[in-house]
Amino acid sequence: MAEYLTIALSKGTLLKPTLGLFREVGLPTEGVEPESRNMVFTFENEAIKYIMCRPTDVPVYVEQGAADLGIVGKDVIVEQGKDVFEMADLKFGYCRFVVAGPSAMQGAGIKDLNYKRVATKFPVMAERFFRSQGLQVEIIKLHGNVELAPLTGIADVIVDLVSTGATLRENNLIEMVKIMDSTTRLVSNRVAYRTKHGKIQPLIETIQETVKGGDGK
Amino acid sequence: MRNREIPRGTRDLLPDEVAVKRQIENKASKLFRSYGYEEVITPTFEFLEVVETGTGGSIREELFLFMDREGGILSLRPEMTVSIARLAATHLQGVGFPQRLFYMTNVFRHVQPHLAQYREFWQIGIELIGAAGVYADAEVISIAINTLRDIGLENFKVSLNHIGIVNGLLDSSGLSLDERETMRRLIEEKDLVELSALLEQASIDDGLKEAIASLPVLHGGIEVLQRLPQLEKNETASQAAKDLINVYELLKMSGLSDHVVIDMGVLRGFDYYTGMVFEGYSPDLGYGLLGGGRYDNLMGKFGLPLPATGFAIGLERLALVLKQREPEPERLLVGGRNYFAVIAKANDLRGHGFIVETDVEGLTKEELEKKIAANPTRTLIYVD
Repeated sequence: MAEYLTIALSKGTLLKPTLGLFREVGLPTEGVEPESRNMVFTFENEAIKYIMCRPTDVPVYVEQGAADLGIVGKDVIVEQGKDVFEMADLKFGYCRFVVAGPSAMQGAGIKDLNYKRVATKFPVMAERFFRSQGLQVEIIKLHGNVELAPLTGIADVIVDLVSTGATLRENNLIEMVKIMDSTTRLVSNRVAYRTKHGKIQPLIETIQETVKGGDGK
Repeated sequence: MRNREIPRGTRDLLPDEVAVKRQIENKASKLFRSYGYEEVITPTFEFLEVVETGTGGSIREELFLFMDREGGILSLRPEMTVSIARLAATHLQGVGFPQRLFYMTNVFRHVQPHLAQYREFWQIGIELIGAAGVYADAEVISIAINTLRDIGLENFKVSLNHIGIVNGLLDSSGLSLDERETMRRLIEEKDLVELSALLEQASIDDGLKEAIASLPVLHGGIEVLQRLPQLEKNETASQAAKDLINVYELLKMSGLSDHVVIDMGVLRGFDYYTGMVFEGYSPDLGYGLLGGGRYDNLMGKFGLPLPATGFAIGLERLALVLKQREPEPERLLVGGRNYFAVIAKANDLRGHGFIVETDVEGLTKEELEKKIAANPTRTLIYVD
């Protein structure tokens, strides 16, 4: 029996560009549709399997070795702190972590945020950022619609992912500090990288080349 | 009420699990002894100063710390190499070297528990103290490979590297200490994205950049070293590469090179490693099985400057990938009305290697037969 290479894919907005990249590097994509309800796709001839995951679950599948490789945003990797190898920047799915506050805070600096309340879906990331700046804040973990927090008064500022900034503007929030940029990454399980090196390394190199060649497109 | 809970990350081991653990320990200790290694035991907790002298400050967050009544700070041991270095430097000075020591013990780290990672876990390992050079390295790596083989593992790989290569390249680069530390970490974590971003900004020679960027993905037979032309320009790195080639050749002569790959990304976390480093993997588990290497400066910190090398195997992880269990001797249940005859029969059978339970409930033959029918792992011997 051939040894399968299993790749965990992020469902949602990342799936389309991922499949585009896969087609370019010659990975099978036939029948893999964003709308499909299948959770596992197996390509016997190519000895490749895809597992369709929620983006936040991808690092778990890869760290545990249920998938050898995974496609996932840097934002998820940072927040979860899972022990996976980050093999390539796929450049798509750009967004950035920012601290944002009500427009009344225009002109305020990062130091003005000491002891403030920060609402976020990314408590690990937010906590680490403020701590690295020597600041103490109260982190309020929310599961969505973080922009509401300053409007309703449960927090002073928010830490959130932003791609164009439109949502911030609609809610009358301004970007105060950029914490970091995030793009989609190809990650690998620590052991699979070594035990399936003959399959994984050439694939990584092809992907790196393709992504580099596609710059500025 | 917490009287049914145990602390997070600890485990109760039930009879089947202990059987596997003992099976591994017995095979490993037999093998270690056959190479002349002798078992030592150190205290479960050490002074924090001892632990930090050895491992550097980086492990502090993972330590279980508490205080004794004299105000000393104590740490449950997070690993054994430091304790053994302390023990050897303190007690074995006059004995003559090289010294061969092994251990099988529990260690403690305050980590996020997950599959194959507990807060109290078991390690078996060896330390070869007082011998520098490739022969000692080859012995230790051979024993690591033979242990996995004896225990019944197939398909495993041991990744080999010499940290002199990365250290040589980085230390002569003109990069700041901070930058070098960060790059070492990124190479070890195989964070290619961050590493290439950092290298892009660094003002160092392009050839060197390329060499450093390739380290995490240089993986394969000994020929991968030829893909590092930068080595020749660097004395530390080229000496390290020579050592690596020599160890590889020695392992080949021992018929073990099928299990060995060169992996320039293996650096090991602990600060004390100075030379050869290696890690073992099985395709059946997403986490490493063993790790080790040479630590020539550690003994000196305890007052006896001697070279040393060794490895540790994670017992729980090995148990997870161990497929074949050793067959146990047959189990018998001996009963009967004549106590003397029952005991005599049972002892006789035990002498022949059977596992023998005797009936302690005073049951009749029919009752015993019913009992066996309900749990047929045992065979009934009824003494009339």
